[in-house]
Amino acid sequence: MAAISLLNPKAEVARAAQALAVNISAAKGIQDVMKSNLGPKGTVKMLVSGAGDIKITKDGNVLLHEMQIQHPTASLIARASTAQDDMTGDGTTSTVLVIGELLKQADIYVAEGLHPRVITEGFDKARVKTLEILDKIKIPIEINRQNLLDVARTSLRTKVHERLADVLTDVCVDAVLAIRQEGKPVDLHMVELMEMQHKTATDTQLIKGLVLDHGSRHPDMPKRLTNAYILTCNISMEYEKSEVNSGFFYKTAEEREKLVAAERQFIEDRVKKVVALKKKLCDGTDKSFVVINQKGIDPMSLDMLAKEGIMALRRAKRRNMERLALACGGVAMNHLDDLHESHLGFAGLVYEHVLGENKYTFVEECKVPQSVTILMKGPNKHTLTQIKDAVRDGLRAINNAVEDKALTPGAGAFEVTAYKELMAFKDTVKGKSRLGIAAYAEALLVIPKVLATNSGFDAQDTIVKLQEESRLSPEPVGLDLTSGEPIIPKDAGIFDNYVVKKQIINSCSVIASNLLLVDEIMRAGMSSLKG
Amino acid sequence: MGTREILSLQFGHYSNFIGTHWWNTQETSFEYNATSPAEINHDILFREGSTRSGQVTFTPRLLLVDLKGSLRTLPERGTLYESPPKSSEIDTNWKPSATETKINEPEQKNVFQEDLENSQITDFSKRCYNLESDVEVWSDFLYTRFHPRTVNIIKEYEHENKDSQFDVFPLGTAMWRSEQFEEDFSDKIRNYIEECDNFQGFHITLDASNAFAGLASSCIEYVRDEYERKSVLAFPVIPSSYSDYAYVTDEEKHQSLIKDSIRVLNLALCFNSLNEHSSLFLPLCTSYNGWRQPGPMRNFYHLVYNYQLPYHTSAILASALDTITLKYRLRSTDFHLSDLCADLNIFGRKAAATSLCLPFSFNKGSDFIDCLDNWDGPLSQSISPNCIIGTDKLMQTFTLRGIPEDRLKRPLQNAGKQKDMPAYRCNSVNEMLSLYLSCNYFISATNVTTVTKGLSVKTPYPSIFDPFVGTDGNINNTPRPEHLKVESVPTLAGIHSGACVGDMIESLHTEANKIKVPRFHQFVNAGLESDEFSECLHKLFDLRECYVESDYI
Repeated sequence: MAAISLLNPKAEVARAAQALAVNISAAKGIQDVMKSNLGPKGTVKMLVSGAGDIKITKDGNVLLHEMQIQHPTASLIARASTAQDDMTGDGTTSTVLVIGELLKQADIYVAEGLHPRVITEGFDKARVKTLEILDKIKIPIEINRQNLLDVARTSLRTKVHERLADVLTDVCVDAVLAIRQEGKPVDLHMVELMEMQHKTATDTQLIKGLVLDHGSRHPDMPKRLTNAYILTCNISMEYEKSEVNSGFFYKTAEEREKLVAAERQFIEDRVKKVVALKKKLCDGTDKSFVVINQKGIDPMSLDMLAKEGIMALRRAKRRNMERLALACGGVAMNHLDDLHESHLGFAGLVYEHVLGENKYTFVEECKVPQSVTILMKGPNKHTLTQIKDAVRDGLRAINNAVEDKALTPGAGAFEVTAYKELMAFKDTVKGKSRLGIAAYAEALLVIPKVLATNSGFDAQDTIVKLQEESRLSPEPVGLDLTSGEPIIPKDAGIFDNYVVKKQIINSCSVIASNLLLVDEIMRAGMSSLKG
Repeated sequence: MGTREILSLQFGHYSNFIGTHWWNTQETSFEYNATSPAEINHDILFREGSTRSGQVTFTPRLLLVDLKGSLRTLPERGTLYESPPKSSEIDTNWKPSATETKINEPEQKNVFQEDLENSQITDFSKRCYNLESDVEVWSDFLYTRFHPRTVNIIKEYEHENKDSQFDVFPLGTAMWRSEQFEEDFSDKIRNYIEECDNFQGFHITLDASNAFAGLASSCIEYVRDEYERKSVLAFPVIPSSYSDYAYVTDEEKHQSLIKDSIRVLNLALCFNSLNEHSSLFLPLCTSYNGWRQPGPMRNFYHLVYNYQLPYHTSAILASALDTITLKYRLRSTDFHLSDLCADLNIFGRKAAATSLCLPFSFNKGSDFIDCLDNWDGPLSQSISPNCIIGTDKLMQTFTLRGIPEDRLKRPLQNAGKQKDMPAYRCNSVNEMLSLYLSCNYFISATNVTTVTKGLSVKTPYPSIFDPFVGTDGNINNTPRPEHLKVESVPTLAGIHSGACVGDMIESLHTEANKIKVPRFHQFVNAGLESDEFSECLHKLFDLRECYVESDYI
């Protein structure tokens, strides 16, 4: 009897073989759900809620979030997969598949009496070796448009349909290239993602500038300006009552009026400073003036600005302050003393676009925009959500490639090569842990197998073909999903991220080993503790 | 000076129950085609918008948060701007053979929701609904239609799921920090505020006893930082009954006790955070005690309600909220939320008590002067947990609605005994009530607001009034006919700040102090450090000290 049952007779306990069986069946269960999504030919899932809300997705991570996973083992695997997404933005389905397969393969040996500890030792040796193999076959790249297009396309085609994937590939790569500064890490926050419920998904485009989701709030303000100075600031231009100085039980109406007038004057002086600068810089030239403020601007201030033909936007996103400075130059101002031309940014074109009750302001034709906007379009909300998820992952994939300065061949090529080399490595290892290495090698093949199945080919046939080809070819060999024949992914431009594969190898081995070593599962309430 | 807009935020299921009632009573009180503008300026809490087809909409300026599975029949983005497409009409742009569709059983709409969709039925008062038994979640009795951005669903936790509970304060703060939530939510706040010309502050209703308290606290911290000079009026609410009180076995009783302790810890953390970041907060509960066991329910004259039904208790709290907030929602005054907060939070007294009299017993055919003359005991009843509102040294504001000016007193020629009362010289309801209050409260500063129109209690407001309440809310001698429903009632509500609030904080402090936090691994796992909690207790004690009366008041 387990010790816990002495303390809590109601605790549920599963031991040894039973515990392993629980873990393996859970891993298989979640693997079965996710299996069909893998690769560009995987299925897309449409989820409709009881109230009619719709979600369409192919992304493993999104699916895991949508499913309510109750089983503790399954939710552990799901968490590993989510961590994979947080770190790399891709490879979530693969993580689930590989963990499941590692457990399945281990199960065969455990059934024959091998101790799980021996298998995990084998797994660990295999993991180290696989990382070596990964380092060997990675392809160092130059950061150029073509290479980035390849890796982005490979990732995006597993998430959205081909036509859209190709549009997004171009958009994402150009976005990252625009904001990348030599020698500095890329800050993906400098790519603004803006949704517009409008037209179709393939109208999604890159704006080399900034799109804000609000417009001017004064009917007389210009809706379109060219050659515009841009003042970005974080200065309140509205009269705000403070909580400190009221005491309304006692004050008379006149006293209040006086107070209001004094405070109002203070705000007015600020606006006048902006107007003065505009007059100095723009009057008599073809230039115009735009104010983008993070704080509020009240109707009286708007009125003063409108009279001067200044376009003013209030309550801009905090992050847009930084983006604006990068997109059109200038600095975000926190005060208006000594305001000078050099503090201002410049944009060739600023205009407003109205869609129902939503307004958008485009700041375009910037000189060297180092912050850009991906304007996502779609006829309905669920399409936009799908695009947004895909764009995020696409940007991450590109950024990974930029940081790794290397890629790995895709289309299952890495797994096939790793299998071949691990099998050779196995023979050099003494003792029973070689069985663990064999199980590991076998498990990696789940990726090409599932890719083949999802494309309508026979898994065994394909694997045999791939292995034969791989023995002959010096280059890593992958699977062509349209013909079912072996190809050289490098020639076909199919690349995966190095860091994604690395993360999969590491996390899957650890999680699978942990699950294998579990020999007792307990589920007990908290009732032994009195509150 | 323009509309003084307020943004409302609701965090948690019980808060949403209250919110739903609140929006419902406002919407059922709208007067269309009225020649004179209404007393209440509805633009303060509502906003005008337009759909893509150009149709004008009037929706609450509201963001609410709830867990997955708590909406039942309500689509996340509502149905006002676009109805969710039929699943058969969706083009996934994918090979049909490779498309898997998983359609959950459509949720069954209750009769009330079906009637709302049926455009032929316009008078709901004549229809018969069983909302008491039909209402499972707040959207079941939702009359108001929302803007698509209003509803926010937390996908990580499921409503009433025993396996993954959203039950401890630090889980809420962690949820706010998860990048996507904060970014999306703060963007939505910004979208609403950007449209406002003269934004005055926030109304935040939050479930104080679960993780939503943590989520709301983080959000309040954020808005205080981002919109520094705007007021934040928070209403931490406590349900009067929890599902785990219906225990049968000893084991379940244990669990329930543990949950009680967790709730007390959450309350302590919540009050501490509100003290730090809100402008003023009003704890609300329809039961006497609130903390460990909410305790016996509060009784109101002419009101019969079931304290186990959130549908009932939330209606009472919503009535109080609608009434106390009238002060700064009237068209006729330029009173701001910030003024209210400044008056009530002096000396760091961030917490205040709330009281309610629903319905305000006003006999049919009688005059207000007689009504007050015959009144026995305090005018209103506290709805703050563990708080008995005294009669001296109070800073308070009362709002009375639904007493017509023409029923103040009788004209001089047939005044009779009324003439001899000192109150007879008063010429308005406001004046008379002020006089009454000044005689009944000592060394207190009392502010009175009066509104002519009563509180609208049309369907879907629950029928919780006893038969002696007439359709217009006045008390009759004979029972009201079965088929008639009460349409509006006079209501009195107040906010009070004084020593009694200190007692409330002290009792919470005592209760929380008894609990050994390290035993509650959920808190530690979710990231609460034990120093943090002892500091929280210290600060609560400091807050309590603010209410100690000294000679200078």
